[in-house]
Amino acid sequence: VTADNEEDLALSRRAARGDGAAFAMLVEKHERPLRSFLLRTVGPDLADDVAQDAFLNAWRGAGQYDGRARYSTWLTRIAWRCRLDRLRKERKPEAIEDAGYAPASLEIDDMLARLSESERAALVLCDGHGWTHPEAAELLGLPLGTLKSTVARAKAKCRAMWLGGDHD
Amino acid sequence: LEAIMTDEFERFLNESLAPAERLPDRRFVAAVQARIALDERLRAERRALAAGFGKQLIGLGAVAAAVWVLALAAPVASSISEYPAPSLAFSLTGFALLVALLVRAGGGAKIAPDF
Repeated sequence: VTADNEEDLALSRRAARGDGAAFAMLVEKHERPLRSFLLRTVGPDLADDVAQDAFLNAWRGAGQYDGRARYSTWLTRIAWRCRLDRLRKERKPEAIEDAGYAPASLEIDDMLARLSESERAALVLCDGHGWTHPEAAELLGLPLGTLKSTVARAKAKCRAMWLGGDHD
Repeated sequence: LEAIMTDEFERFLNESLAPAERLPDRRFVAAVQARIALDERLRAERRALAAGFGKQLIGLGAVAAAVWVLALAAPVASSISEYPAPSLAFSLTGFALLVALLVRAGGGAKIAPDF
């Protein structure tokens, strides 16, 4: 258990005993990266709803955090499960494919909109949030090799768009 | 040139995908706290409702058993067989009053987390 995990573990244990102030400190500390990931992955309409679902589940299961993984990793796993639950309830397939529009100027959001949801998640975690490939593979429920190829494919698509030649 | 472009693209990707530097969003924290408070209240109400329902079932069962035992006693049994309709009406009225009393008594406790 690292020092940072230890601090989060102590806060989570207090939260498990019903200490709302301790949990508010955890929310303050971790909302920024979680919402950033969700914003990039599931889009602005759903990001905050899924983040709230995740924090609610983290509050309910506060006693289950054991400090072995980073709190942010544990929380992102919860958020991803919340996202999948929502998709199941809406009876949509897990991987949302190409949004299928062609923006005039290609910014990062436009590029991400052209990737599948799992490609977006893999790319954002590994290239933006500094997750290791095994961590991201576990979160997304993919074999390590598949995760690596998903990241490579996503990056290649973005690179092609970035260079101006949008050829999937 | 290819290497320069690749480096530039990697930098663009890393910078674009990294979480933006900003202060904690207090409004979001408050929204999460409000949602947790609501969830806790609803769960407490559900627990209280279930506990009250259980108590009411036990109470009704006990009363029904007592009435059954009473009805088996010789003087009561003879009255029932002699006047079945008034006995049934009396029993049903008593039962309805008992149910109304239990329903009124069964109020749920409300618990709020300490935010």
